[in-house]
Amino acid sequence: MAEKILLIDNSESHARALKLYLERSRLSVLIASSSGEMEKQFEKRDFDILLVDPFFQGGDISAVIEKFKAVNPMVQVIVFCEKKHIDKAMDNLGSVAINFLERPVNSKALDLAVVHAKRCISNERRLANYSQRLSDLQNAQALYHQLFNESPCYISVQNRDLRITAANTLFQRDFGKQIGGHCYEIYKHRESPCPDCPVVQTFEDGKSRNTEEIVTSISGKQYNVLTQTAPIIDDNGEITQVMEMSTNITQIRQLQDHLSSLGLMLGSMSHGVKGMLTALDGGIYQMESGMKKNDPERTEKAFELIKQMADRIKKMVLEILYYAKSRELQYESVGSVEMFNTVISTITNLAANNNVAIKTQIPQNLGEIEIDPNWVQSALVNLAENAVDACRYDNDKDKDSHQVEFSMWEEKDAAGEKICISICDNGMGMDQETREKMFTLFFTSKGSQGTGLGLFIANRVIKQHGGSISVKSSPGKGTCFELWLPRKRSDVSMVEKSIESLHKTKNCSTEGVMIKETIMDSGLNDASYH
Amino acid sequence: MKKILIVDDDPNIRDYLVSLLEDNGYATCTANDVRDGLKIAKAEQPDLITLDLEMPGEWGPRFYRQISQDKDLKNVPVIVISGLSGNDYAISKAVATLSKPFDREELLSLIKENIL
Repeated sequence: MAEKILLIDNSESHARALKLYLERSRLSVLIASSSGEMEKQFEKRDFDILLVDPFFQGGDISAVIEKFKAVNPMVQVIVFCEKKHIDKAMDNLGSVAINFLERPVNSKALDLAVVHAKRCISNERRLANYSQRLSDLQNAQALYHQLFNESPCYISVQNRDLRITAANTLFQRDFGKQIGGHCYEIYKHRESPCPDCPVVQTFEDGKSRNTEEIVTSISGKQYNVLTQTAPIIDDNGEITQVMEMSTNITQIRQLQDHLSSLGLMLGSMSHGVKGMLTALDGGIYQMESGMKKNDPERTEKAFELIKQMADRIKKMVLEILYYAKSRELQYESVGSVEMFNTVISTITNLAANNNVAIKTQIPQNLGEIEIDPNWVQSALVNLAENAVDACRYDNDKDKDSHQVEFSMWEEKDAAGEKICISICDNGMGMDQETREKMFTLFFTSKGSQGTGLGLFIANRVIKQHGGSISVKSSPGKGTCFELWLPRKRSDVSMVEKSIESLHKTKNCSTEGVMIKETIMDSGLNDASYH
Repeated sequence: MKKILIVDDDPNIRDYLVSLLEDNGYATCTANDVRDGLKIAKAEQPDLITLDLEMPGEWGPRFYRQISQDKDLKNVPVIVISGLSGNDYAISKAVATLSKPFDREELLSLIKENIL
């Protein structure tokens, strides 16, 4: 690209001579010989080099030149003037011009000045180019940094020692800022690398891997994550690091767990439900025929059966409803002793009919407790019924009498005030297996009489209130359930609690599947003998 | 009078079947599991048996296999009454299979058709 020169000179002849000289060196030259022309050219700015005599038309235009140069830093300024003015020109434009020439201009000095100006122009163009690229690069880097940091998944970069060398904001928020630590320590609180580590496999063959993992955050929460790995390759094609990107799919898994155990529950309960409905049909038939035959004994017995079945069906439906929807607890402040006495009164008849004595050790007043009374009461009724049942079905002839003892007291510790309850019977007791499985979904020791939901839900209700339940039992001697509830509504958020209980459900449901499969197996085996 | 053996572990359902069948002119005997059922079947020589599938201890199909190997009992018709789904295949040689809760008119007519 040929540089353009604007020549500002008083003397038209001198200007023309310069123009001719410069045009021979393939430069294009514009001339401004009046201040009007100069202003017009400055306006257009269509030149790269300004060749100027600052003592133009008797005045001094140094200030104008300085101002122009400040606005157009790319334009190179060469000054020429009478020898006597040159000092003054240097004083005025020393920081603006790259060269000062004497009038009349020596052609060699002009050539050198132009070469110098051209070099300056090209250097400055290059510099501008570089700084543009540099700022683009910085923008891009900032953009990628932002993408990395703000991605809605956990991103970490790991070296061959499985140490984390970089991690994004979300990762650091949930798993801490221990850059440099081992990923298995940070992600899973393990002391050695995980078996089948996808990062190790990606280091080996450079291929991306997908796995599903369960990881533990700094707050101890467990997350299900879908993990993808990708190699990071250096200029030599070597895999130096591996990026691991994990998407949190905990909510999806929870929903799946919940739905699958719900389906499982409905499946395995349908047998019980059908039995109840058949018995209900039986009650209706006997009542009908009892009335037709005028047989009051039969009618009354039938009515009792219908009532009993209606109660059992009601209970089962409520249990299913409780399970089907993890509803929030409706907290109320109720009298602890009154609440417990209501529970005991519901099983008084059942106990009396089966010769089971009821003993109580309950103080007059233990103050108020913040609970969802519906669920806590039904959990306690469940435990109380179990205690009576354990006595009813105890065939030990050596025992003189059966009894259930209900106790209530308060305790205080660092966590706050607790209301404690124990329900102890001297019935048949439980062996270790029953003890271990009793809180499991669908586990029942009562055959077709039980749904396997009662204790599971009782346990869940107590846990959801932030309390705890434990059991001591020995076969033949009896069982003691002990539980406590915080007096004040627990601070632990409901979400965490329900997540926790859902995790439990997952473990339980696998067992449920096995039990069901065994049932189907034995059924099929029997059939296949024919 | 024709005699029917009822094998079911649920006492309420046994009571129901006893009333229903006795009201319709049959004699009944009952058993609450497979072992009892076999003993009573041998002693009472019933003319028909209603059989539940899922019971504590041994299950209905085993009961059926045992009576089908007994020369006196092998021709006694069996009606399966069960809450298991897909129970049609559990005992394929049963004269009929009903699902709980069953229709009592259907049961009565099946008994009438099949009783020895």
